[in-house]
Amino acid sequence: MKNFLAFVAVLVLGFLIITSLNNNEAFPNYGEADISERVSQAYIDRSATENPGDITFGETTDLESGPANIVTAIVADYRSFDTLGEVTVLFISSLGVALLLGGVNRKRIDLDFHPNFMLRVGSRALFGIILMTGVYVAIHGHLTPGGGFPGGAMIASSMLLLYLADDEFRVKIKGFKMLESVAGSLYVLIGLTGLLLISGGFFLENFLDNGVIGNLFSAGIVPIVYVLIGLKVGSEISGIIDNFLTEEAV
Amino acid sequence: MEIFSYIFMTIGGLFYLLGGLGILRMPDTFNRIQAGTKATTLGAFSLLIGIGFNNPEWFPKLLLIIVFIALANPIGSSALAKATYRSSDLPENLVQDDLKDLFGGKDNVS
Repeated sequence: MKNFLAFVAVLVLGFLIITSLNNNEAFPNYGEADISERVSQAYIDRSATENPGDITFGETTDLESGPANIVTAIVADYRSFDTLGEVTVLFISSLGVALLLGGVNRKRIDLDFHPNFMLRVGSRALFGIILMTGVYVAIHGHLTPGGGFPGGAMIASSMLLLYLADDEFRVKIKGFKMLESVAGSLYVLIGLTGLLLISGGFFLENFLDNGVIGNLFSAGIVPIVYVLIGLKVGSEISGIIDNFLTEEAV
Repeated sequence: MEIFSYIFMTIGGLFYLLGGLGILRMPDTFNRIQAGTKATTLGAFSLLIGIGFNNPEWFPKLLLIIVFIALANPIGSSALAKATYRSSDLPENLVQDDLKDLFGGKDNVS
């Protein structure tokens, strides 16, 4: 009897869903949707509030969203509040790892394997190049593929290299914690500044000049925010790596 | 200028091909590491220099990539070879074993 009722309920619900979707203007039939009327097209054309016409790389000024990279325009400008949430998710996960594994008196886990001289010195040299690439990717996030998240992951991977190649190495974890909190707070403060400076403004509104699309110094607060995200992600993942590779000192 | 670029790129592709062939055909892990690293290091150098001839404004970045590969490839493969030496059985037809003379056995190698 119970199974029969469940079966009937599923049928009725399915019928309701299918009929409501079939006679709905928001859900046209397969292949009949006009993609040029969708929100994504407005994001690509930068015409969510007003139509700017044709955009020329390196010439057009003062668009509603400055980054030349469309993905960055969506992630760090149109949907910046969403990105703040994502950064918070990463922060909470690193907090959880620190809560489970972290502590005051920590030392490196004793490994059977001790890296030799060549590995130690060579990885020091490689560390600089990887770190620089990460910073470059984070700073150019509004122009080229990449941005704060991959840039931060690269910064953390350079730290991981030092951890793996030198069994004595430990970062100054207090400095990283400080960097993480400062970067996160600055992100929120920049958002609040947009709310304060512009009358009728909203949280994380771009209050700086957008400039010429495609220049390094353009897009207002977007590169600032993305560099802050890069610093935050890099220091958080470095903290997680440190927590995994250390143990409580007895 | 363009012809130089394509000559260098062809040399690089050839080295990559030889490296892949070496990984496929060599008998044991150490020989495979050797073939893969040496061939791809030189192959990448030639390829990047070829690209540099084609687009001279990219040269600084390409130089940085070359430095990175020149450091990362040998160091990484040496660490890989050492880990293989520690963790797996040595090939039976091994002629020279300097690590054994230096450290006295597989378990002491660090």
